Amino acid sequence: MSQLEIKNLHVSIGDKEIVKGLSLTIKGGEVHAIMGPNGTGKSTLSKAIAGHPDYTITSGEVLLDGVSILEKEADERARAGIFLAFQYPSEIPGVSIANFLRAALQARLADGEEIDASGYYKRLYAKMDLLKIDRKFTSRAVNDGFSGGEKKRCEILQMAMLEPKVALMDETDSGLDIDALRIVADGVNTMRGPNLGVLLITHYQRLLDYIVPDYVHVMYDGRIVKSGDKNLAHELEAKGYDWIKKELATAQA
Amino acid sequence: MKPPTETDILPDSAEAAAMENPAVGIDQSAGNFSYNMEYAFDAGTGLSEDTIRYISSVKKEAPWILEFRLKALKKFFSMPMPTHWATKDLENIDFQKIRYYLSQGQKPKRTWDEVPDDIKKTFERLGIPEQERKFLAGVEAQFDSEAAYSNIKEIVSKQGVIFVNSTEGLREHPELFKKFFGKVIPTGDNKFSALNSAVFSGGSFIYVPPGVKVAQPLQAYFRINAENFGQFERTLIIADEGSEVVYMEGCTAPKFSTSTLHSAVVELVALKGAKIQYITVQNWANNVFNLVTKRGIAHEDAEIKWIDCNIGSRLTMKYPGVVLKGERARGEVISIALANDGQHQDTGAKMIHAANNTTSNIVAKSISVGQGRSTYRGVVHIPKHLKGCKNNTECDALLINTNSRTDTYPAISVRGDKNSTQHEASVSKVSEDMIFYMQQRGLTEGQAMSLAVNGFINDLARQFPMEYSVELKRLIDLEMEGSVG
Amino acid sequence: MSASSLSVAAPLVGSFTTEAFAAHLASLPPSLPAWWIARKRAAYETFAALPLPARTDESWRFSSISTLTLDGFTLPAAAATQVPEAPIGIKKAAKLVFANGRLCAHEPLSAELTARGVIVTTLQNALVQNEALVREHLLAQPPKLGSAKFTALHEAFLVDGAFIHIPRGVTVKQPIGVFSYALGATAAVFPHTLVVAGENSRATIVEYFGSGHDTEAQFAAGANDLYASHGAHLTYIGKQDWSHRALSFQSNSTVVRRDARVQSLNVHLGARQARHESLSQLQAPGAFSEMLALTVAKSGQEFDQRTLQIHQAPNTKSDLLYKNALRGTAKTIFSGLIVVDPDAQKTDAYQSNRNLMLSDEAEANSLPGLEIQANDVRCTHGATSSRIDPEQEFYLQARGIAKAAADELLTFGFFEEVLNRLSADDLHEALRVLIQTKFKK
Repeated sequence: MSQLEIKNLHVSIGDKEIVKGLSLTIKGGEVHAIMGPNGTGKSTLSKAIAGHPDYTITSGEVLLDGVSILEKEADERARAGIFLAFQYPSEIPGVSIANFLRAALQARLADGEEIDASGYYKRLYAKMDLLKIDRKFTSRAVNDGFSGGEKKRCEILQMAMLEPKVALMDETDSGLDIDALRIVADGVNTMRGPNLGVLLITHYQRLLDYIVPDYVHVMYDGRIVKSGDKNLAHELEAKGYDWIKKELATAQA
Repeated sequence: MKPPTETDILPDSAEAAAMENPAVGIDQSAGNFSYNMEYAFDAGTGLSEDTIRYISSVKKEAPWILEFRLKALKKFFSMPMPTHWATKDLENIDFQKIRYYLSQGQKPKRTWDEVPDDIKKTFERLGIPEQERKFLAGVEAQFDSEAAYSNIKEIVSKQGVIFVNSTEGLREHPELFKKFFGKVIPTGDNKFSALNSAVFSGGSFIYVPPGVKVAQPLQAYFRINAENFGQFERTLIIADEGSEVVYMEGCTAPKFSTSTLHSAVVELVALKGAKIQYITVQNWANNVFNLVTKRGIAHEDAEIKWIDCNIGSRLTMKYPGVVLKGERARGEVISIALANDGQHQDTGAKMIHAANNTTSNIVAKSISVGQGRSTYRGVVHIPKHLKGCKNNTECDALLINTNSRTDTYPAISVRGDKNSTQHEASVSKVSEDMIFYMQQRGLTEGQAMSLAVNGFINDLARQFPMEYSVELKRLIDLEMEGSVG
Repeated sequence: MSASSLSVAAPLVGSFTTEAFAAHLASLPPSLPAWWIARKRAAYETFAALPLPARTDESWRFSSISTLTLDGFTLPAAAATQVPEAPIGIKKAAKLVFANGRLCAHEPLSAELTARGVIVTTLQNALVQNEALVREHLLAQPPKLGSAKFTALHEAFLVDGAFIHIPRGVTVKQPIGVFSYALGATAAVFPHTLVVAGENSRATIVEYFGSGHDTEAQFAAGANDLYASHGAHLTYIGKQDWSHRALSFQSNSTVVRRDARVQSLNVHLGARQARHESLSQLQAPGAFSEMLALTVAKSGQEFDQRTLQIHQAPNTKSDLLYKNALRGTAKTIFSGLIVVDPDAQKTDAYQSNRNLMLSDEAEANSLPGLEIQANDVRCTHGATSSRIDPEQEFYLQARGIAKAAADELLTFGFFEEVLNRLSADDLHEALRVLIQTKFKK
């Protein structure tokens, strides 16, 4: 069983500090949801863990199975088992989904080893069927001309094919209608198990009805300020983020 | 549903150590080579009437051809270098230092040991067969292709197709070729067509009889020998009514050459209803000036398609053109150019509409890496009183590094309200977001770049025959590895 | 370049002889600074020495060269007769009216604006009262687009023009109007408008060029300088409506500094042959230049538009949209170059030329160009020439509208895309009326 440990992490963009000392441990089999108002650092957190060049980690640690990943390049972290489902997935013109995923899988094999083509396609089609993605999409360029919902489902397809240890899902529900949301949630739920830890970043509680979290954390001003179980999400929905701000203010008073 | 059959070659991460464009590593200094001085006749270096007479006599040419050459030489000397619009780099060509004719035995040689390692590595990566490597690297003067050539020659001659070199073509079949020789591209078209008309040697002369559809692509490779090493090739392809032919020249492997000037002329004639497809992949060494004039005339209902890929050379200037002479004729230019350090790819297309309802299509994609420079020049001309003519042009440039450069200079001229033209061009780089996205899926930066660049030219690469497009992908991977990090 | 003016051959100067130049200098007020007179002298020598454009000049490719002439024009000595009615009836903050280069009417700024330091005056006044500013910006940018000879002619024979200065932080809500008329059968005029917009200022300039009668074979060589300082927002609208027998050259230069925005719209209606050059320099981060043009070209007219968008700093943006409608034997040339310097990363440059061909004889030439030396950029250009969309035409006809009326509607629709870029509704409306009137003639 894997585990991702985030220890007192501080992340900046340029001179501005966004994440101001965040600690969290995600074990395999657990789904942690992070909620919070906009601009509070949720996306920053996930991108920084994935190794996005725009973000600087000024202090703190991130360990995957006890090994620090902070010295590793983005692709090394990915091969180590980190998966980021992007909020705004990139388009890659001219590169088909089939070829892209094959390249990504091939990159994880040892030198000289080759992907078994027929096995690969079998798996790919099975996952596509599960996620209700038309098989014709294999030859379409990655995210090129896709609707918002199609892009998000494509992210989940990639996750299913790459079988990460830790999945950071950055506002996967944004821009999805209820049907697309269900499909995406079903996809994630089938992957749930002791070998996968999930960090689910969301602004709205709605997603959490479908992907029921084990833990809910509220992030505010770059830190986790409150943690609880799935009921915390309902409380937040009912009372709004102002409630958290008031609570913090009173606590500091 | 079947999986896609296109084989996909992945960049090899094990060899990702910074690898520069292997062609750059070629040492062109004269000290590396030995010239066999035993020959009685030697045209030597430099260009004069004597050189022309020598060439003509060695080939035993008819008097009219010698006349043609001499006239062309005069024209060449009288024309200025086109540096008022083209790059000043042209002034670095020293016409008097070039050997204008090399016959068997005069080809300089070097040993396999002397071939730089990175060249050998490239051959390895591109999967070039053993026997071809020595030829391409300049270790052997002759490519033993006689077997392959006589085989294809036998097959097509059964259909009445003539497939010979320029000397043989003009000598054995003047009644076929003389009619069009020098008519598609007149001697004085530009300084370099004049030069070629004076010293041409080698190249393919092809005639396809009416209604014949040649099943296999005809390749220049089949007939390469010392003389045909490509310096001043002259090609003329005539597709008679209703016939179809595909011709391929060049290869993705870096081609070594002691000659710094290559000036070829290619003339195509597609008679009524005929189709010609001319595919070129050029990867000359980085010391070569590659200045080519290519033009086709498409008659009624005929189609001429130029598929052009320029990867090598120090400077390539090439603007394949089609004169749409008959109604409903179609012209197309598909072009991929890759310019790396020290290279300038100055390419484009010319479409001259001269009849009603003709259409032309130009798609040009260029990639500039390191300090490479790519330029697009286009001309689209639709004159008075024509109706129903259409042109579509798309040219896109991808700049990889901060100091890469690209220029675009199209000129579109259209008259009347019965014709339409559309031109679009864009310049971009591979976005950092895209690279990060691919890295997050486990690809290294180099692999991500390769995928992105291959994606950029994907539509065009597909139009090349399979073996070329596979090699092309490998080559781009190689270039991209060098550009990153 | 100091060729002796006495040995100059006639074709190089035409009607603009050394005698004419001497007479011009003598007619100027003595208060003008010496440096300006010295510049004019140098400009005359340059003008006289440069040759007329040749067929092989890249910057004159596709232009009709043989119809360019400097002969047969006169330099009107005194202020002229009755000035025609102003064609644009919108409320203005101030107005300057020139006839043959001399101020003949004006409406001054309000006391409030004057108190805040806004200046709308003649160049002759400004050369004395605002000498430093004028010296810094008047014709400060070198001509890059091929009209060096005509720009030099302009500088030499420039009589008077408009000088507009908006001080830092001031907003002038209503447009400032400048009207230049050429009156007299063969009159030659040299209009100039110099606008210096201070930091964070806001202003709109509306300019009109017209002739007394539509049959006057006149000559115009004008130029503009627009300078937008840090954070300034400037809108410039120019309407060229010279006589249909006039020969016109106009050279406009726009400099955009940090975070400044300049929108310029040129409407081309008159002249038998008009050459218009527009240069935009994006000199500092955040600069934005929007270059718009609309041309209604009729039989016998040739409109030659050359533009240059130069990005010299990172994070700058330019957006060019030039639309031409061609009828009869009209001819247009559009040559637009986008240049991105090596350090100008994150440039966003766009250029679009659309030609609507409304007759069998019309001729449209496009030379959209790119010279890009920075790689983290987004640069696109496009050029399209086509007739009215038959689908759209049919759609209107199917609703009962006759073909001619349908085509007219669709052509106005063609222009709307450009006019829609203007934020001021009254300007939009006034221009629409102007264009439609011209079109129907």
